[in-house]
Amino acid sequence: MKTKILKFILPAFAIIMAVGLAFATDESNATQTGYYNHPILGVQSISTDCPDFGTVQCMEGPYQVFKDQNLTIPLYEPRE
Amino acid sequence: MGTTRPSNVIITLISIAYIILFVYTAVSKLMHLSQFQLRLERMPYMESIAPWVAFGVPFVELVITGLLLIPKYRLIAFHACLGLMTLFTAYSAIVLNFSESIPCSCGGVISAMGWKVHILFNAFFILLALLAIFQIKKHKAQLSKQHTT
Repeated sequence: MKTKILKFILPAFAIIMAVGLAFATDESNATQTGYYNHPILGVQSISTDCPDFGTVQCMEGPYQVFKDQNLTIPLYEPRE
Repeated sequence: MGTTRPSNVIITLISIAYIILFVYTAVSKLMHLSQFQLRLERMPYMESIAPWVAFGVPFVELVITGLLLIPKYRLIAFHACLGLMTLFTAYSAIVLNFSESIPCSCGGVISAMGWKVHILFNAFFILLALLAIFQIKKHKAQLSKQHTT
């Protein structure tokens, strides 16, 4: 009985718990369009998951990403 | 018959810890696959292989989970766990030498950890995998000794 619990019931319970946890702690930060200034190509749009708030500036390669095409509202990295 | 050795209990508990970790992170990544791919594309050295890694990592995590469920394949599974966790940790450590902040694409609440905490967390799981490998090998050696005597 003890072996049965160790071999089958505990792993099954672990899988169910992990899937449940994944859904329970699901954070839905949707992607949005961001803009950056390319020195040659000009303002470029990209799809990004960077939110409007945070501490570390959102970067696309060496370029800072902004929320608007005028490049005035910066976007931030989702989390460090 | 039907008795459980302490080493079996340790191995099972470590398997469960890895099953929870891998199923949780794989499901979290698969729920937001495009977002996971986007984050990978922004990580150093990952741009060109991001689509492959985005599918590959959760797939490998689920395959390892499957192997952990079958006692016969647990030794292979723990070697794979050790390899994967070492790879994640080495990549994080290398990248952190170049940048203070890199977008984490770890899945779920694990991405809320700071990078230093994340490396410690990975190191703890590496130690668990090593302990499990050691216990399985010890158990196998004991079994073969019993058969020969």
